[in-house]
Amino acid sequence: MQAKIRRRQILAGGAAAGGLFALPGKAPAAGGAKPLQGVTLNVSCWSAPYPLMLAKYIPEFEAQTGAQVIYTTPSFPVYNQRMDIALATRSDAYDVINVTFIYIGRWVGAGWVLPLDPYFNNPKLTPAGWDAADFLPGTTTVFKNAAGELCAIPWIADVMMAAASRYDIMQQAGFVLPDTFAQMPKMLAAVNNKDGLPGFVTENHYGWTFIGYLQGYGANIFRNPPHDLMPVLDTPEAVAAADFFCNLLRSYGPKGVLSYTYDEVAAELKQGGMIYTTENEDFVAPMAMPPSKVQKTCAFSMFPAGPAGRFPQIATHGWGIPIGSRHKDAAWQFIAWSMSKELLLRMFRDQGWSSLTRRSIIEMPEFRQKLTLNGYDVAKMYLDTVNLGEKGYMAYRTVPPYPQVDREIDIAIGNITSGQMTPKAAMAAAQKNSITQLHRAGVKL
Amino acid sequence: MTAVTWSAEQRRAFTLGLLPALIVLAAVTLGPACYLVITSLTPLTPLTPGSGLDFSTPLANYSQALLDSSFVHSVWLQLELSAITVGLQTLVGLGLALLLNIESRFMEAVRTGFLVPMVLPPIVVAIIWKVLYTPGISPLYAVLNALGIAAGSLVTDPATALPALAVADTWEWFPFTLLMVLAALQMMPKEPLEAARIDGAGAWQMFWYVRLPFIRPALTVVVLFRLIDSIKAFPLIYVITNGGPGQATEVTNYYAFIQTFNFAYWGYGSAIATMMVLGVFVLSLIVARLGGTQAVTE
Repeated sequence: MQAKIRRRQILAGGAAAGGLFALPGKAPAAGGAKPLQGVTLNVSCWSAPYPLMLAKYIPEFEAQTGAQVIYTTPSFPVYNQRMDIALATRSDAYDVINVTFIYIGRWVGAGWVLPLDPYFNNPKLTPAGWDAADFLPGTTTVFKNAAGELCAIPWIADVMMAAASRYDIMQQAGFVLPDTFAQMPKMLAAVNNKDGLPGFVTENHYGWTFIGYLQGYGANIFRNPPHDLMPVLDTPEAVAAADFFCNLLRSYGPKGVLSYTYDEVAAELKQGGMIYTTENEDFVAPMAMPPSKVQKTCAFSMFPAGPAGRFPQIATHGWGIPIGSRHKDAAWQFIAWSMSKELLLRMFRDQGWSSLTRRSIIEMPEFRQKLTLNGYDVAKMYLDTVNLGEKGYMAYRTVPPYPQVDREIDIAIGNITSGQMTPKAAMAAAQKNSITQLHRAGVKL
Repeated sequence: MTAVTWSAEQRRAFTLGLLPALIVLAAVTLGPACYLVITSLTPLTPLTPGSGLDFSTPLANYSQALLDSSFVHSVWLQLELSAITVGLQTLVGLGLALLLNIESRFMEAVRTGFLVPMVLPPIVVAIIWKVLYTPGISPLYAVLNALGIAAGSLVTDPATALPALAVADTWEWFPFTLLMVLAALQMMPKEPLEAARIDGAGAWQMFWYVRLPFIRPALTVVVLFRLIDSIKAFPLIYVITNGGPGQATEVTNYYAFIQTFNFAYWGYGSAIATMMVLGVFVLSLIVARLGGTQAVTE
């Protein structure tokens, strides 16, 4: 009986999908039964700015479709642990999930998320104007499985930038935003503790925030990812990068710098509690928007260049459908709605969501105008960074065992910054432990 | 034909009566434990189909663990944390129980107040101490700053991170010792105390020669329970330090958690968990034996 009801609901949902997509993100469904009446969708993403902004529009989706959406946004590590188990066990607990960047190799590679081509290529399920090709190729390529099918729709192109929340202090000390690593220590030494503020902060996910420095010094994580996964964390360049980065944290960071999570960093920056950071665009851009206290004193630049060049990190995350979902068609309707041009444009206009993945919006004059933050052309920095990423230096991040190495890097940076190990010893330990982890994961080195 | 005795009938009836409960108990306790042990003999990972049935190298996880410096480090840390927390909780709980062992309505209210940390959900305790240990928002640091004392973050300094966790754990669990010891003290007959007083025993002698022997069995139980529980310390580490700085607070159960749920090495995580179960069992046996011997000696 229950199965019959579900089939009926799905059939009803599919039949009425056209009505829903006629006006995505805007109008309620025209009279009669709503297409997803009686369907409960479990949707989950980690607590980034975009999913938190999206939460405000979900009642509109529910009103249009009749679906009930149970929406959860736990913290990044909690989300990943929870979802890894749910996907591994083919659980039906979730219908729409975030496919996390560092888990792409694992989740997509293992076939735990559905290919979405059959959905966005089906005119009955997706309106013609939705245009899957509009998403930046740099953000969609990584979500493709071995057959070349797209397994998630990217909701963010997250780029690493540099930003000052109290640029006034820097200017008073006679400095501009550093363009190279070499300029950073001198500037930070001059501004640190001015007005009682720490000079530098970045989030304690060092497997993310440190890598731009590592690559900037000419080092890398693996010898030649994704083909040769032999770790190369103990090279002289890697040790020099770790020494440089940990010195920034130790000398200019706040008390307890090792405990700062991404949300704490973002909050401190908006409060003007720190002077300078290298962080994600979606964490620093809100400094220029209400209710930030530093709208008039914030400043932005591209991630600084190291001796080997500029390697701003780029991440993407996307909405996907777990293979265990019992409401796959309805799940796709949620994804198509949430990633429609109309809704994204509204989020951009109403809430300042700017880490967008749709080229048609990024290329709008309105985007560049709005992303000129406190006089800084952040839109150009954003696109320049995305273009840099096409060189392929982010390939290390989507290999299946990267989460293991990511943690070893976290540990190494923690050990160096807290004075438990020298940079050389810590990076040697990271190298040794990463090899152990890769062997355990069955990687042939 | 053999005559069935009444006692044999009684045993049979007892066995039959107990059987349903024993079956349920086996299903809910022994079943998962057996599954854990079986899993530990495989390289089970959800990424490799069929790995849960691969028994080709059954002891590989165990030999890997013994060669894994992170695991060995986590065991030493676990022992250190357990020693500090059990020691502190026993001392603080015992001391307060001796002080509060006075019959008055006021003391009853005070005793109830002391029990609050123990009944809070562990995650709430973790959040309380996360706030207290975060320099920017902590009232503790605000007071220190007002006094002109520049204190660094306790939980990101490797020298203080583990003791800081031990303090938080002690705050949460000393009421258990307090409760148990107080109950034992209140059951103590008055005669030995009066006799000792008449003999001119001082406060220390009263404690050492009269009260302590009486409450020793209760203290043994307390140490046993707290020792077992200390090995399960998880929420405080997860919320406050995440195992850091570096691996300064990455105790064994946290390490097992990371291996299992972050990296999907379910077989390896099961092997670590199995070794932990064995460790706890052996420790419990030792403590129980010591306590039992002492109780008999008394």
